Amino acid sequence: MSESTRLTAWRLGLIFGALVIVESAVRLGWISSFFLAAPTRAAIVLWTELLHGNALWLTGITLFEIAACLIISTVFGVLAGFLLWRYQLIGTSYETLLAALFSSPVILAYPIFLVTFGRTSAAVIALSSIFGLIPIIINTKGAFQNVNPILLQVGASMNLTRKQMFRHILIPAVAPAIFSGFRLALTYILKSVLGLEYVAQVGGVGMWLSDAAFKFEVEEVYAGLFGTIMLSVLFLYLINRAESRVRK
Amino acid sequence: MEVIRHDIAFAGIRLQTPLSVQALTLVVIIAVWELVGRTDILFPDLFPSITAILESLWTYLTTPIIVPHLKASLYEVGGALALATVGGVPLGIIVGSRRSWYQVAEPLILYAAVVPKIVIFPIFILFLGIDVHSKLAVGAIAAFFPIVLLTITGMREVKRVYVDVARTVGASTYQIATHIYLPAIAGQIFTGIRIGMGAAVTGALLAETKIARAGLGFMIVEYYSQFRIADMYSLLLFIFLLAALANIAMKYLFSLFSPVSRTNRDAGMYF
Repeated sequence: MSESTRLTAWRLGLIFGALVIVESAVRLGWISSFFLAAPTRAAIVLWTELLHGNALWLTGITLFEIAACLIISTVFGVLAGFLLWRYQLIGTSYETLLAALFSSPVILAYPIFLVTFGRTSAAVIALSSIFGLIPIIINTKGAFQNVNPILLQVGASMNLTRKQMFRHILIPAVAPAIFSGFRLALTYILKSVLGLEYVAQVGGVGMWLSDAAFKFEVEEVYAGLFGTIMLSVLFLYLINRAESRVRK
Repeated sequence: MEVIRHDIAFAGIRLQTPLSVQALTLVVIIAVWELVGRTDILFPDLFPSITAILESLWTYLTTPIIVPHLKASLYEVGGALALATVGGVPLGIIVGSRRSWYQVAEPLILYAAVVPKIVIFPIFILFLGIDVHSKLAVGAIAAFFPIVLLTITGMREVKRVYVDVARTVGASTYQIATHIYLPAIAGQIFTGIRIGMGAAVTGALLAETKIARAGLGFMIVEYYSQFRIADMYSLLLFIFLLAALANIAMKYLFSLFSPVSRTNRDAGMYF
């Protein structure tokens, strides 16, 4: 058995073991099913909702919001990051401000976005895009700043035009670092979209969870939570795979 | 004329510092906001004048109106941070102490860290009710992940050679823990706690905006539902300032306890 298979087996074993303990605790009545749903029951509810309910539709809404945030963040983030690199004084000045903004609890300002955009997906997209925008700006600026000067000297010695230099040297050199920002952005967007959907009760999966909690449908709450976790894990897995491909 | 031109050019050069640009940006934002707020040319309900926001902020600072809510939020964030530290640091030490444990557990913790913690709030409501403890729990789970992950990083960064040298000179397990591991991981733990505090503030206050009886997050939603936008802005400003101050204070406090980095020092200083 290879090292990675053994590690995966251990990880799956740990997760499965934890689920078995929870299942047993609920079935044996150690924990009331009013508080905790058995994992099998939650999985059945989730499956039923996916097949016959509107869970798929809600997942589609969440995915649409995430995609919209990602497009907005990437387009504006890469452009702003490039400009901040080109104009060094502005770049140095605003990088600190952006970092400060990013570390402050901006998400608490969501009522302002609800006032502006109404209780719609637009409010979720507008606020969540900020969380994606900042890491992309900072990483793009850093990526251009850290391009190895030898690469540029090689380009200059080959008499490359500015356009060729940008296309054949700068873009390939900055792509991995920009992708790291993209990865970070996607993680923050995912958290923000799901969190806002739940708190503001708009949009997709998060709203479903909020509705279920409001109705005290315990199994549905756990099913929604299970779905949210699966969505987050799937996203992180896909990002990791994509990043390792880019780095190759 | 030449002198004036020279002075203007000199002032222009002096203004070309990051601090000046930041200050100028802030001034421009405030001026534009005030103009929009006073003239009502754009979203009159959304941009109250800066003076109205500052008046409201002054009320918070000079009257006891905010005290019960501040107490509730501080209790939640403080309790969350304490719980997260008590749970996260030992777990991080255990996971980081062995390569095999680290390889198995670290990816699981990383994947769990991505899940938005606020979505676990309904479970905490089921178990702990809608009072402060359910928000404390959300804050704790949010702060737990940066603390545990940075503690693991700290443990993994401890060089094997230090432990080997300590063993060679006959150091006991306790001495290795207190003289090698603790100083080596302290910086990472402190950073984890500082980042965890930010996560706890966001988690607890966001949960307050959902269901609560008291707290700063609860106040934000109250003002939103009453459409008291200036009060809402000033409260947000108050929270941002408080979070920034707590962050700076923590950074300073931890710098007093953090061991000095010796990586750039010449070995000659020890002889």
